[in-house]
Order: sequence, then C-alpha cells, then structure tokens
Amino acid sequence: MEATVEVGGLRKRFGPALALDGMTFVVQPGQVTGFVGPNGAGKSTTMRVILGLDAPDQGQALIGGRPYASLRHPLSHVGALLDAAALQPSRSARHHLLWLAHSQGLRARRVDEVIGLTGLASAATRKAGGYSLGMRQRLGIAAALLGDPPVLMLDEPFNGLDPEGIVWMRGFLRALAAEGRAVLVSSHLMSELQDAADHLVVVGRGKVVADTSVTDLIASASGDRVALRTEARSGAMTVLANAGATVAATGPDTLTVTGLPSQKIVTLLGESGVPFSEVSAHRATLEEAYMELTRDVTEFRGAEVAR
Amino acid sequence: MTTPGAPAVAPYQSPEPAGRDGFAQLVHAEWTKLRTVRGWLIGLFLVIVVTDLLGIFGGGFSNVACITGPGARPQTGAACTPQVPTGPGGEAVQDTYYLAGQALAGNGTLTARVTSLATEHGLPSGPQGQNITLQPGAVAWAKSGIIITASTRPGAAYAAVMVSQSHGVRMQHDYTGDTAGLTGAASAASPRWLRLTRAGDTVTGYDSADGVHWATVGTVRLPGLAATVRAGLFAAAPDWEQSTTNVGGGENGQGGPSLATATLDQVSASGGWTTGRWQGTAVGGPDLSQVGYQQAGGRFTVRGSGDIAPMVPGPGGREQTIEQHLIGVFAGLIVVIMVAVLFITVEYRRGLIRTTLTASPRRGRVLAAKAVVIGSVTFVAGLIAAVIAVIGGVAVVHSQFGYVYPVTGLTWVRVVAGSALLLAVAAVLAVAVGTILRRTAAAVTVGVVVLVLPYILGVAAILPGGAAQWVLRITPAAAFAIQQSIPAYPQVDNVYLPTTGYYPLAPWAGFAVLCGWTALAFGLAVVLIRRRDA
Amino acid sequence: MKDTLWAEWTKQRTLAVTGWLLVTVAVLTGVISAAAAAVAHCPATGCGQDPARVSLAGVAFGQAAVAILAVLAISGEYTTGMIRTTLAAMPRRITVLAAKAVIVAGLTLAAGAVGVLGSVLAGRLLLPGHGFTAAHGIAPLSLADGPVLRAAAGSVLYLMLIALLSLGLATAVREPAVAIGLVLALLFLFPIVAHVAVSQEWQRHLEQAGPMTAGLAIQATTRLHDLPIQPWAGLGVLTAWAAGALLAGALVLRLRDA
Repeated sequence: MEATVEVGGLRKRFGPALALDGMTFVVQPGQVTGFVGPNGAGKSTTMRVILGLDAPDQGQALIGGRPYASLRHPLSHVGALLDAAALQPSRSARHHLLWLAHSQGLRARRVDEVIGLTGLASAATRKAGGYSLGMRQRLGIAAALLGDPPVLMLDEPFNGLDPEGIVWMRGFLRALAAEGRAVLVSSHLMSELQDAADHLVVVGRGKVVADTSVTDLIASASGDRVALRTEARSGAMTVLANAGATVAATGPDTLTVTGLPSQKIVTLLGESGVPFSEVSAHRATLEEAYMELTRDVTEFRGAEVAR
Repeated sequence: MTTPGAPAVAPYQSPEPAGRDGFAQLVHAEWTKLRTVRGWLIGLFLVIVVTDLLGIFGGGFSNVACITGPGARPQTGAACTPQVPTGPGGEAVQDTYYLAGQALAGNGTLTARVTSLATEHGLPSGPQGQNITLQPGAVAWAKSGIIITASTRPGAAYAAVMVSQSHGVRMQHDYTGDTAGLTGAASAASPRWLRLTRAGDTVTGYDSADGVHWATVGTVRLPGLAATVRAGLFAAAPDWEQSTTNVGGGENGQGGPSLATATLDQVSASGGWTTGRWQGTAVGGPDLSQVGYQQAGGRFTVRGSGDIAPMVPGPGGREQTIEQHLIGVFAGLIVVIMVAVLFITVEYRRGLIRTTLTASPRRGRVLAAKAVVIGSVTFVAGLIAAVIAVIGGVAVVHSQFGYVYPVTGLTWVRVVAGSALLLAVAAVLAVAVGTILRRTAAAVTVGVVVLVLPYILGVAAILPGGAAQWVLRITPAAAFAIQQSIPAYPQVDNVYLPTTGYYPLAPWAGFAVLCGWTALAFGLAVVLIRRRDA
Repeated sequence: MKDTLWAEWTKQRTLAVTGWLLVTVAVLTGVISAAAAAVAHCPATGCGQDPARVSLAGVAFGQAAVAILAVLAISGEYTTGMIRTTLAAMPRRITVLAAKAVIVAGLTLAAGAVGVLGSVLAGRLLLPGHGFTAAHGIAPLSLADGPVLRAAAGSVLYLMLIALLSLGLATAVREPAVAIGLVLALLFLFPIVAHVAVSQEWQRHLEQAGPMTAGLAIQATTRLHDLPIQPWAGLGVLTAWAAGALLAGALVLRLRDA
C-alpha cells in the first residue's frame, strides 16, 4: 500500500460555520508535512475526516487510495494522535496501549516496544490520569506507532512539551520520515515546525492557502529583496533605479532593493563609486512567510477581539 | 499535486507481521479495557456482594415460635418447620380431603351422581382459637366427586373428576393438572354425573348432565400407578379468607377452615370393578371434627375439608420461595447499570471514543463487542451472585427451621441463570442507553428508572395492584418474571399480584420484553453511533 | 454569599440541560400521577386506596429527574474539571455548596410545584370516574382540604429534600454514575428490603428509616394510624437524611483536594 494521504474537495458545515471549504492536498511519503493554519482553520476537522470520525458533507479523504473505514487494521496503515487527553485516567498507560493493540490483533510485545521507543518505560504502569501533558503526548505518540504504520498524523504534538521535549519530538518526526513514512503534523505555531517540516500545507478558513516545500516558501516570502546600508542614499537610489531595480527607502541610511541580485548591486555601486557599508539578501523567517500567507485568512484577529 | 522537491524515498513498509483480523480482536480489546480499570472490577465484585448480602440476610432473622395445634403450648425450633407434602412433580402440595373409598385392583370404571354441594365457613373462637363454629358461606373451589389415588398418603398421585361450587365440572390430576368440563353447579334439579375409568396408567374422566349422554372431560396418565388403587367419593373445601377495607378505617380480615357437604348417589362400579365395603379416611388428618361420611341406601353424604391442589405462596405466609433470596438482584442491577453505562460514557467524556473508533472504524461492531464483553462478564458475576444467594439463603432459612418451596431442577436453573441473564441483558441495555445519551448521570438514571423503579413500585406495593401489573408488563422490569418459581394456578384462589410474588407475564415472556427493549435501544444506538461525528 | 449565589444561578441557568430536567420533573410527575389515577379503581366494597396518594404517585418518578438535576449540579463540574475554575474563583467551598443547595432547592420547588399541581388536578378530574365518589365516602380531591393540602405541599417539599440529599451525596462521591446509583439505591433499598422482611417489626422499622418510605408518608390522607410513621415525622426523617448527606458532602469538599 502506498503511504499517502489524499484529501480531495472536503466540505463540512457545523451549523452556520463552514469548517471545511474545499480542502484539497496530498501528503507524500518520506517527508514531514507541516499542516499549519490559524486556530479554527479546519486542521483538526480535516484530520478527523481523514480518520473517518467525522463525515464530510462533500469530498473524500483516502489513505493509500482507500477510505479509512475500509481498512482492516487501520492502525497498521495510519497512526494518529488527535488529543493527548483522550485517556481514561484510571487506566495505566500500558493497559491503554494493550487494549488498543488487542483491537488490531497485535501482541503485548509490541506495546512494550513502543513504550521503549517513546521513553515511557519508567511510567508505563502508573495511572494515565497522573501524567503531565508532555507524558501524555508521548503516550499518544506511542499509540500512533503501535501498528508501525507508514502514515502518521499528529495534531499539535508540540503542545505542552518542554524545550527538551520539542527537540526530541523534532528529531523523532524526522527519523520517522527518513524511514519512508508519510508524516503529517499540524500546528498553529509555525516556529514549532522550523527545522522539522520539509513540506507545508498552509490552510485558512477551511481551504488550502499554500501547498509548498519549506525552501520554496521561504524563498518566495523573501522575494529577491536585498537590504542595502549606505551613507549616500540618493546616489544609490539613482544608480539602482537606472539599472531597472525598484528601490525603497526604509530608513535614514537603509534601502530595500527589488529586482536585482545582490551580486549585481555590489558591482553597480562599485562601478559608480557610491559608498555602502552592507549588502545582504533579505531572508524571511518561516514565521514571516506564514504571517504573509495567512494575513487574510485569520479567523480571529487581535483587533476584532479588542473591539 | 506531487511536489517536485519531494525526496525520492521508498514508502515505508512495516516489518511487523499483520495482526489477526476479526470480531474476536474487538472483543479482546474491549475485554482488556474492562479489566484494566480497577473501579469497574470493584463494581462487578460489588454486584455479587450486594446481591448476596440482601439475598441471604435481607429477610432478617426471626425467632420462630409456633402453636402446632389447638390448645397446644407454643413451641420453637424444628417443631415449627411446616410439614408440607410433595406431589409427584416435586411441588409442594395440599392434600387434605375426606375420602369414602375402597381398594380396587386392575382396570375398571366408577360412576356417581352429585346432587348437591353446600359449604360452610369455620370461624375459630375461644382463647386459643380451638373452638370452631360453622356458618354458611360460599367457597368457590369447594369440590366433590370421584377420585382414584395411589394411596391415602398425602402427596400421592391421583386423578379425579369433580363438581366445584363455582367453577363447574373439573378433571384434576397430580395437583397441578386441571381441565374444565360442564359448567354450572350441581343441584337436585340439575345434577352432575361423573365417571372415572382406569386402564393401566391411563385414567379418563367423563361427565354428563343426564347419565345417558356422556362427554370426555380429560384423559391423564399416572405413570407407574400400582395395580391396586384407592378409589371412591371425596369432598374438600379450601380455607376461606375474607378481608374488607373501610375507607379511613383500617382493614378487617378473617378466615379459617371450610367444610363442604356433598350428596352423591347412583354410585356404581363396572368394567372389572365391583364395589365392596366403603371405608372413610380423613386424608392429611382432620382439620375439622365435622368431616366424615354417611351412607343411606344408595345415597352418600360426604363432608370434607381442605384441598387437593398445589400449595402456593400467598400474602403473609412464612413459607419462602427461592426467588425471595434473589431480592438483592435489584441492588446488583443498579451497580451493573452504573458500570455498563460508564463503560461507554467515559469514552465520550474525554474523547477516548475517537481513539477507539480510529482503531476500529466499523462502529456497529465496536458497540457489539462492548455488548458481548459487558454482557458476558455481567452474566458470570450475576450467576455467581445468584447461586450463592439462593443456596446461602435457603440454608439460612433451614437453619431457622423455616420452609422453602421445593422446585424442580429445571425451574431452579431457570430462576438462578435467568437472574444472571436479566443482569447481562440489562447491562447491554445500559450500554445502548449510554451510547444514545452520552451522558453518564442521565443514562444511569434512565437505566434505573426503566429497570429498577417499576420493579420496586410493583413489588413493594407502592403502586395499586392494577398499575403494578401494567408497569411489570410493559417496562423492561417485566423480566423479573423470570425469577418466579411457583406459577399462579387458576384452580387455587390466591392474591396473584406482584406484591405476593406473581408477575403478570410468564417467565420467558417477561424476559422477552426486556430483550425487545434492549434490541430496540441497541439498534438505535448503532444507528446513532454510525451517523454521528465522533 | 450573594455573588456566589449569583454565579451558581448563572451557571445553572446557562446550561440547557437544566431547563430540560425541570420540564422532565414537572411532566413526569404530572403524567405518571394522571396515569395512576386513570388505572385506579375503587369498588363499592371500600377501596382501601388513599385518593391523595394515588394522584401523587408520579412523585416517585419525578424524584429520579430531581436526583439527576442535583447530581449534575456538582458532578458535572468534576467530570469536566470546571470545579477547579469554580473553586479558584470562589475559594470558600462551603459557601459554594450552600449556594448550589439554594439554587437546586429553589429550582426543584418550582418544577415540583408545577408537577404536583398538575397531579392534583388530574386526580380531581379522573378519580371520581373510577369509583372515588362521595357515594363511597370520598370527597373530590381539593387543596382546600387540610390533609390534601398537606400531602400536596409535602410532596413538593419531598422533591426538594431529595434534591438536597442527592446534592450532598454527589458532592461526597463526585463521580456522577456512582452518585446517581447511590441515591437511587438508597431510596429503593428500604421499601424492597422491608417487603421481604420476615418479621413485621423489622419491616416497620425499615419503613420508618428509609428516606423514600418515610418521606412519602407525607402523602397519606387516610388510615393515618396504620402508617409506619406519621406524615410530618416521615418528612423529618428525610430531612435528617438530606442534612446528613449535605454534611458529608461539605466535609469531603472541605477536606479533599479538588
């Protein structure tokens, strides 16, 4: 079976609110796909639809070409972490994994394996109700790995993790992807995905805003802008404008140049004898790129709240 | 929508062997869920504890004192254990009547004509009720006619054809068998001819209004009937009881023995039998000094008291039934409802249901697996509880020199295993209600209100009789009928109400009502869990 | 206390389930009472049935909805974890419980009064058609009649006391399933055990002690001397149960971590 998730034209309405509005994307194997968007953009609903928990009004979601409900042992196709708090507090972590394993016809040995894999061994026999949020996340990951699935879907796995846990989680996700699995990770904080995701599906108001690799996204957000620091601001502006660039003053001695690569700018300024102290390609952060993309689709903005 | 930049990595293939598939896995998973929550195991244990504590000790301990006969000193202990004869079917019976009979060998026929049947009420009086005065009064099931019995020992096998005071001609045998013949009472103007024919193990009863045209009332088999039987004319009249309630002024009840006086003539034997000397026997001991018989020419007057019928539990009796020790089942039921409802509603509380349905997307099967697990576990706990309650309760009663109605092995199993089945099906109903409502408190309450409340209201005499019968007919609590060990006999006058232990529906019919409700609720639950977003 | 009361009132008011349960209390009480009156009959020989008791039979069912309402008022907060928010906002725990008691009692009184009035009305209209007539020595049910008024008002109070008993027990045990099961078991245990009790004396004591059996004595208007316990004394027994349950709940709330 192919390790892909295909989501096509999902639409779903909760009363007056349109939760999904033609959500369409594909998750490829061998990479971590970040599923990002502001709160209420439809990330969790999409994941629930993929898992057959919610029925879409329109469209479909396929795992390796098949609907989730038709999978024999679904956990060996898709491992999912939706809500780390979805536990019965009075049951131990090991027992929680055990019933889940039994539902897939798996042996108890596999339970101990995933407990070891997620570093829960010392706490596995304690009641899950007493777990910290971070431990619950690990337990959720353990449950997702139980069937050793080629597809993993994690909803906000960084929530509640301490910095050490975040580093662990990033490494863990990369390792899983490196094994050839398709990994879909949702988050509303782009910074969490920095250094973790290879590919991004950015959503807002129930549909995909951008579906791109992380490299491309940053490049496009950065544009071909170059930051220039110079004493002779007007001289530089004239030279560069004549060469066909768009130049904007951003400070008393700083300019932003668009339309010319930095190499060419250095050459031009040198030929014209315009002094400058710094030329640097402007590189956007993932955060900035994301803000740029989702500016129009954010459901709740500060201003609206303040009103 | 393939991304050009995607690394070319071979899709992941799990080295894990695929797990076994099927419903058994779901059941295994649900069983693991159930056994790994300590509170639920404690709950199931509690089912046994409350059922047994109430069942064995709920009746309380009593110091038994009794007066064994008119004018006797009060006694305690073993002397107070009621001496109840047992019929051929193993049931407790009353076998007290007056017989004017004789020994008859081989096959033959006995015929007689009943020309009158009068009854009197015996009123106990005197300081210890030792004097009994008689005054005329109706006794519907007073009866007189011809009987063939294996012996005059109480509890012996018999067949009889008779005229009753208010229920016409009857053919009865072995205490529980009862078939109706001609209607109407016997009188000099309209007498009733009766005939009984023995052929081997088979006895056939006939009746006639004129002695010419005969009709068969019934044919019965008395297996292993000895070659020589006692046969003759008999009369009996069950104890009478009367209670009048005055609005705003309490209840007056009175009762006592009855006396039937029957006149029979045209007595003849044929078909191998010839009549010899008649001999009077007060079978089961005389409970009235007036019993006896007189013969004047061809005319017999037989005076008898008592009844030949199954003994049934009635109001105020000290004799107990086995199901009285299953009274704790209602408390066990409350605990079962709690555990079964929680088994599904806790999943909804914290979203665990999403994990469950992600692991097993076929939702109807998940629910079925839950039902199988909770039903089986409850059945086992219920069975242990019921067996201990009945055996322990009966032992306690016997240790206090009490009496418990005997039942056949089959009935015992039906009552005990039926109680466990009731708990098991109730657990499935509770899971269904929990799935429908998804709210713990509401689901537990609905479960208790439909299963336990009607039982309490009906059985503990909180509702008036008619309403009590209706709630125990239509609500799931009808299933408690499966605990009734002694059936209601139309040939015995008694208060056949839930308060005295008689349910309006037959045992399995009552249980079927519960099953019907459960099927309905479970179907609705499956539809809802499939249709709703988890 | 005033703020706490206001907060608890807002909490109850804004839960959709509260309204539904109150309607259920009133409807269940009225409908079951009417059904009981419709199937009752009083033969000429003397019926031995208390007309007030028959027409208030629905209270035994209405109390189940009352119990849910009261149990949810506190257990609902434990299942969702909102209790921590509540106690953070209002650290005086006993005051919170008292406020809940006042609100739950008030709501129950209102819904109970509607249900009981409906029951009495149904009894007044239906019972004369079933033999409960002046010819049999029974006057039409009327609230102007002292004992009938006592039975009706007492039934409303009975429902309120059941609410307080449930609230107290639920505060003590927290888990809604256990709380509701415990309340219903406590109510039903006594009549059923009394029913099977061998000795009459033991039976009478059980009926005097049980919260439901003693409490419902308030509904009796005939044959008062045959009752195991007198009407107001019976309601007193139930009051003692409710007070005991609230006390237990208050102690647990005070002493245990939220």
